[in-house]
Formats: sequence, C-alpha cells, structure tokens
Amino acid sequence: MWTYDKKLQYPVKIKNPNPQMASIIISQLGGPDGELAAAMRYLNQRYAMPYGEVTGILTDVGTEELAHLEMVAAILYQLTRNISEEKIADSPFAPYFTDHTTGIYPVSAAGVPTDMKYIGVKGDVIADLNEDLAAEQKARVTYDNLIRLCDDPDVRDPLRYLREREIVHYQRFGDALRIAQDHLDSRNFYAFNPSFDK
Amino acid sequence: MNSNHHSPNRSCCNQLEMIRALDFAIQETVLYLDAYPHHEEALRYYHSLIAQRESAIAAYEQQCGPLTMYGNRSTTSWDWVKAPWPWESDAN
Repeated sequence: MWTYDKKLQYPVKIKNPNPQMASIIISQLGGPDGELAAAMRYLNQRYAMPYGEVTGILTDVGTEELAHLEMVAAILYQLTRNISEEKIADSPFAPYFTDHTTGIYPVSAAGVPTDMKYIGVKGDVIADLNEDLAAEQKARVTYDNLIRLCDDPDVRDPLRYLREREIVHYQRFGDALRIAQDHLDSRNFYAFNPSFDK
Repeated sequence: MNSNHHSPNRSCCNQLEMIRALDFAIQETVLYLDAYPHHEEALRYYHSLIAQRESAIAAYEQQCGPLTMYGNRSTTSWDWVKAPWPWESDAN
C-alpha cells in the first residue's frame, strides 16, 4: 500500500504562467518516457523479481516516480494559472485546452494520451532491468530537451532536479543488474530465468 | 493547538524545507542501502536521519498541520483538507 505525503519532493514555485511551456512539459506526465510510465513500469515489474535488493530498488524508485509525477503536475498547474483566453488562443496549448480546460490529463507533447504500450514487463530480471536502464536515460534526454527549450529559471530549477534523479536511478538500476548477474551462472546468464524456472 | 486555519507562514515553510532536505537524504540512503544492504556506515546514517525526521515531523504537524493522514494532531479540527495543497505555489 501507499500513504500520501502532503508535500512535494522538491519545491515548485513559478511566478509567470506560460501555456506554451506547459504544452511540452506535459510529456513528462503522459509521454513515452514520462513519470507515469516510469512508475507503472517499475512497480509492475516487481512481482517477477527473485532478489530482495532488486525488488527493493524497484519499489523505492517506482514510489519516487509517483512523487515526480506530482511535481510535473504542479509545474503544469502553475504554468496554466490565471491565463487569459487570448493568450491561450495564440499558444500551442489551445488544442489541449479545448478538450481538458486547465485540468491535468496525461498526454505526450504531441497530444497522444498515455499508453501502457510505452512500458515493458517481460518477467525476466535481465530483460526488465535493461529496459529500466534505457528508460532512465530516455527520461534524462527528455529533460535535457525541455531544459534547452525553457528560459524561465523558476521552471528550469525543478526540471534540473528531475533530470538529476534520472541519473541517480540509472546508477541504482546498474547496481541492480550487477546484483542479479552475481546470482546467475557467470558463464551463461541466460541458462535459466530465475523468476520462472525452478 | 491552533487549528482553525493553517496559513503558511515563514516558520512552516522553513520547517517544511528542513523536512524535504531530510527526506531527500533518506531517499538517497534508502536507494543506496537497497543495493548495498550490508553497508554499516550507511545504515548508521539512515538511523540518524530517521531520528531527526521524527522530531521535525512532530514539530511541523503541531504547528502547521498534518503531513499524512495519520498526522491530524488536532482533536477538534479536521486539518487534512485545508489548503494549501502541495501543487499550489503558496505551499512551496
């Protein structure tokens, strides 16, 4: 189970609304390498993990992704407060506004609603951890791209924090893969799948 | 406790910032311990952080309102539903 903490993991305090920025940052909510996909990937992979250290990392990283989901939502919420209809009409935010007003709905920057096709759960410790390593790097690149496109320091600051977390998670998944391989036959990691073959 | 309203004052903001910093250190230590569960120094560090967190949470919840659904310290007022919520600028 989970318990809600009534605070953000890292502060989000944006002075100037900017619907154009919101329309691209939303990809880290509902896009292919976004925080929702990340949380679902790790939390659902846990059940096929035969080693406690790896299950722990997936649980704790997956839970942190939920905190990041809320941070991204807070950025979107604050970027779309108190904006005029004229400013919306002239921005790339207008198509999203048409369907969702300023509610928070997980879509990609291109407007595609989130999809579990973005994630992989293979039920195999090596396959799943390699998926996770790639996912953290893809999310890092997405934050790199958003930071390139954003010049407001109030927005760049939490984006940089989130980017940094992708790198830390990548390190821990690297540890997880090493731990898993240490448990396997060093001459043939693929001799059996420890979560299925007994 | 004064629980009729919880306008976020400077003291509450500072306390919350301290809790955030502790929680960040705990998060990092937990992820590290997941991968290195026999690291004694990390485990000692974890316990020192947890002790600091417990007192920081107690002080914050008495003065500023609950951080979790288990933390509504007032016996006369349901403060859990009071603004600001975390995504609002005033809460940060």
